[in-house]
Amino acid sequence: MNEPITVVPRVIGAIIAVLLQIALAPNIALFGVVPNFIMAYVLIVSIVCPDQSGPVFAFVLGLLFDLLGTGPVGAMAFLLTGASFLAKRIFMLVNNDTLFMPLLLAAISTLVIELLYAAFMMAFGAGVSALDAFVFRALPGTVYNFLAALILYPIVVRFLAQPIQQQPGTPHLR
Amino acid sequence: MSLNFQNRNGASANRVLLIVLLAVSLVMATVYSREGESGPLHTLQGAVNSIAAPLKFVGASASSGVGDAQDALNDASADDATLTQLREQNAELRELVAQTEEYRQEVERLEGLLNLKESSGAEGIGGRIIGRNTDAWNQTVTIDVGTSSGVTTGLTVMGPNGVIGQVVSSQANSSTVRLLSDSRSGAAALIQSSRAEGVVRGSLDGLLYLENIDSDVQVSVGDVVLTSGLGGSYTRGLLIGTVVKVEGAQNDASRRIVVSPNDAATSLEEVLVVTSASESSSDSSSSPSSSSSQSKSSSSTGGAK
Repeated sequence: MNEPITVVPRVIGAIIAVLLQIALAPNIALFGVVPNFIMAYVLIVSIVCPDQSGPVFAFVLGLLFDLLGTGPVGAMAFLLTGASFLAKRIFMLVNNDTLFMPLLLAAISTLVIELLYAAFMMAFGAGVSALDAFVFRALPGTVYNFLAALILYPIVVRFLAQPIQQQPGTPHLR
Repeated sequence: MSLNFQNRNGASANRVLLIVLLAVSLVMATVYSREGESGPLHTLQGAVNSIAAPLKFVGASASSGVGDAQDALNDASADDATLTQLREQNAELRELVAQTEEYRQEVERLEGLLNLKESSGAEGIGGRIIGRNTDAWNQTVTIDVGTSSGVTTGLTVMGPNGVIGQVVSSQANSSTVRLLSDSRSGAAALIQSSRAEGVVRGSLDGLLYLENIDSDVQVSVGDVVLTSGLGGSYTRGLLIGTVVKVEGAQNDASRRIVVSPNDAATSLEEVLVVTSASESSSDSSSSPSSSSSQSKSSSSTGGAK
């Protein structure tokens, strides 16, 4: 029987991600691109702990991100809720216990979220061309957020991942 | 069998919840885009920003103190018994010098603001920048003055050398300023020499573009750009910047005019929220040359706040 994992570590992680977003992210912006620790955290948790991350978790964090900024409220909540669900389902299908698969999935999810957020911003009157949105925000944002996800991944695995029940001697590559 | 049934029920409940949350998000985004600045979602966003403002300030202060902390760590690691006392004194003196330098720079900045008030005839409320945007798509800063000091939405915000943006939301003790460099910003502007009117817009690449200028107007590098006050969104006659590049010739409809802002918000700490400006003096006195010369001549004045 699996040991029940408490929600507390995830909530503590979420609070830390929000604090990083408020206090650190604006001060490490590069060329106007601010890293999104909340997005990185939601994606990594969805991939690392697919059984524990429900849609409410992603929705609440996405909503907080929206409320902390000056962009359209609901946009990031929508994207994180959807992306978290899809990332979780896809990972359960393609997981091969290597490090490559979760990171690939995190990178693709980040790119998709950035592209869709760019589309949201354009639809809500950002007044920029699709090319500018891709070149100056979506692409560098993807790289920056993926780096944030890379940093968060081992931490989330260490503190939140459920220990895998396996036969003695089975290699575990995660 | 019963376990499977329970799992299936749980999964379908999760899916329903997912659909509900996605729908709620979309409804919120739609409501947000249609409601005004005083709508419930904008108000909630302003309130959350207001609550987060002290944390932003802590982050900004910590970031500026990283260099000092590194120096302190270096000093601490080079421990030597015979020189401990001297090093302590040295550290104290350095701290004093650093503090004095801080004060000196602050006085200089405040003098700049005061000088701006005099040269442009602008009256306003001095404020300090306590936070910056938390996302990549909005170029905003948070300042430590709000409705309790008389700041309201729509007021123009200036640095010591020119316009930097406009107040987009205001709470009791803090306000959010959308910078001119934000892609959603647009300030009615005019070229000082030719009086040709257009709109200065921000962009994602961080540059300001002067648009809607008649194609037959001659625009040259170095032309001064001021707010025109058209539409009432920005106070008239305040300096925005100078033309640094003109892509395309005169009579070319696709001509692009790049404006360099006179003040970059990234390096600012204090700003002036303009409540009123005298129109007669502003146009003639806002040019960079006159502004800088006045700045030198009036260095003995006090703070702007």
